[in-house]
Amino acid sequence: MNGAQAMVECLKAEGITRIFGIPGVAIAPFYEALYENPQIEHVLVRQEQAAGHAASGYARITRRPAVCVTSSGPGATNLITALATANADSIPLIAITGQVDSSLLGHDVFQEADMRGATESFVKYSYLVKNVNDIPRVFKEAFHIASTGRMGPVLIDIPCDVQRMELSKAFRYPEEVKIRGYKPSVMGNGQQLTKVIAAINRSKRPLICAGGGVILGNGEEVVRAFCEKNSIPLVSTMMGIGTVAKAHPLYFGMLGNNGKPYANKAVANADLLMIVGARVADRAVPKPEKLERRLTVIHIDIDSAEIGKMLGPTIPLVGDIRHIFDALLEADIHTDTSEWLEELEEFKHTTVDHRVFSDRLVNPMTLVQTLSEKMDDDAVYVADVGQNQLWSADNYVMKNGRFLTTGGMGTMGYSIPAAIGAKMADPERQVVAVCGDGAFQMSMFELATIAVSKAAVKILVLRNEYLGLVREHQEKVYEGHYSGVRLYSYPHFDKLAQAYDMEYFHADSNDTLDAELDRFLACPNAAIMVCDVDSANNTK
Amino acid sequence: MKGIFSVLVENKDGVLSQIAGLFSRRGFNIDSLAVGETDKHDISSMTIVSTADQRTIDQIEKHLNKKMDVIKVRRLEEAKAVSLEMMLIKVSYTAQTRSSLIELCSVMGAKIMHISAKSIMIEIHNTPDVVGEFLELLKSFGILEVQRTGTISMAKG
Repeated sequence: MNGAQAMVECLKAEGITRIFGIPGVAIAPFYEALYENPQIEHVLVRQEQAAGHAASGYARITRRPAVCVTSSGPGATNLITALATANADSIPLIAITGQVDSSLLGHDVFQEADMRGATESFVKYSYLVKNVNDIPRVFKEAFHIASTGRMGPVLIDIPCDVQRMELSKAFRYPEEVKIRGYKPSVMGNGQQLTKVIAAINRSKRPLICAGGGVILGNGEEVVRAFCEKNSIPLVSTMMGIGTVAKAHPLYFGMLGNNGKPYANKAVANADLLMIVGARVADRAVPKPEKLERRLTVIHIDIDSAEIGKMLGPTIPLVGDIRHIFDALLEADIHTDTSEWLEELEEFKHTTVDHRVFSDRLVNPMTLVQTLSEKMDDDAVYVADVGQNQLWSADNYVMKNGRFLTTGGMGTMGYSIPAAIGAKMADPERQVVAVCGDGAFQMSMFELATIAVSKAAVKILVLRNEYLGLVREHQEKVYEGHYSGVRLYSYPHFDKLAQAYDMEYFHADSNDTLDAELDRFLACPNAAIMVCDVDSANNTK
Repeated sequence: MKGIFSVLVENKDGVLSQIAGLFSRRGFNIDSLAVGETDKHDISSMTIVSTADQRTIDQIEKHLNKKMDVIKVRRLEEAKAVSLEMMLIKVSYTAQTRSSLIELCSVMGAKIMHISAKSIMIEIHNTPDVVGEFLELLKSFGILEVQRTGTISMAKG
């Protein structure tokens, strides 16, 4: 068995049945091994970055590490943005990159790029495999590292000659990993847990802030149960949308710069904030030092380095969310929040949205609300980046589905490939990518992947002929000096849909929106729907 | 404050650059970094000294611990550890300055390793403070070249 065949055996041992990638000479032995193993389906994307984003969508729906593959040099460097995106959002990926022959490493030969060096700050860990016999161990470790502790992407860079080399001993996939420097803490510290319980019991106005870590740690159910049992209200970050349904009586929206004013008011009036699986990043908590001075902060995270990075919590607690909340669910908590909940309800109903939206074309808030209400209960909504993302996060009606977006890196072009991955992970589920006309054009080459695979992905484009969020920024900060943001009316989406055998729908007013959305969602095949939006509409 | 970290790491390629990259990327300051193999050939030991506020020092420790190839991080307290540094320094001399230079070396416990017609190469190993003071004292003679190893530290007891 050669190295490439061993790589495929490792993937099979990990239960991988589908990978996303683009081949090249430096990864050709691996593709030869794939040719012999049709049980692993290879999805050919059209640019390597999309392989990473598609794997990200796939991983988020299957809740397991997903695999993307590229060749060396430019193929591999194209993947870096996707790795950085996955790293910022803690998405478990295994990125396999071909490399030039090991004897040529460091000689700047054709299509050589130092991928370990280039991705050092964008991956959880990386390997450059120089010995073919290391392949089983490296793969076992990589899957373990990607999917445990704080999850993230792991890079395996494999020189072409190592893929061709014969293993000197029989292939055996290890059952265990031994990494002496890696033992993520899972169980929360008992003493800290006691402090957390005492703090909740002292609190009259507790509030949970649920981040993406709740979803990554499969903690939605247990967090929900804890909130319901003890009548503790919660807000979420953008990545934490989906912890509970939007209509849940204890949910008070997304916090932060782009969040609901009543969610921020809740934070401002709480006496105890439990931050759970969230990074306390600048967009969610713009002034952490103010919070720190004013209230008791409990910070629960699997990654101890996140605790104390932005704000020094009163009570830090490191561990796996499910273990910790299982313990909290058992605990004797007897805080009476009824008055606090009444107050929060009042915030919610008295907050006035002062934003004014144009009467022209489609109202983006109505669009997101109507779309998400019409979507299946368990549908996957993939929001891109830009105004579309903020309108989505603000107005999306979460039922029992998933809201996927890139909150950390904010990578434009994420939604289409991520939606492809999500759809392939669960073909029965409705998957809709929502993007602006700017983000669409950053991934529109992936329409070919959709056409070939016949994945029934729906793409909804909010077209305002601008890079809208930058335009909005220039309007507010640079006196309306619109610089480099106008997209004009290209492409002709109807022709594009036709070119890729996709169905096409279009709404240019609130009156036609409803019926057109129905047709769009009912269509059994891949489809593009363009909604024209007035560029004068802002997110704030 | 000063943070002294004694760090055991996997002795394999790329680890030093990972650690150095961590400091530069996160804007942590490195006062000194010394690396060498331990008695086990697959484990290296690093002593990293950094000056920062308490929260940053805590963050450094957490981020070091987070690295897959870091086996163990120990934070050393200055008073409860022995810290040493070695320096090689080349100083120019004249007939008039030679004897006072030799005298200074002998007072400071420094050794003269080589003498040429115009310069003296001196070795000193001592606490980082003393090495620093010695360097200051030599400035008036005319320093030609300096090599410092960086601090290595070990907890007492």
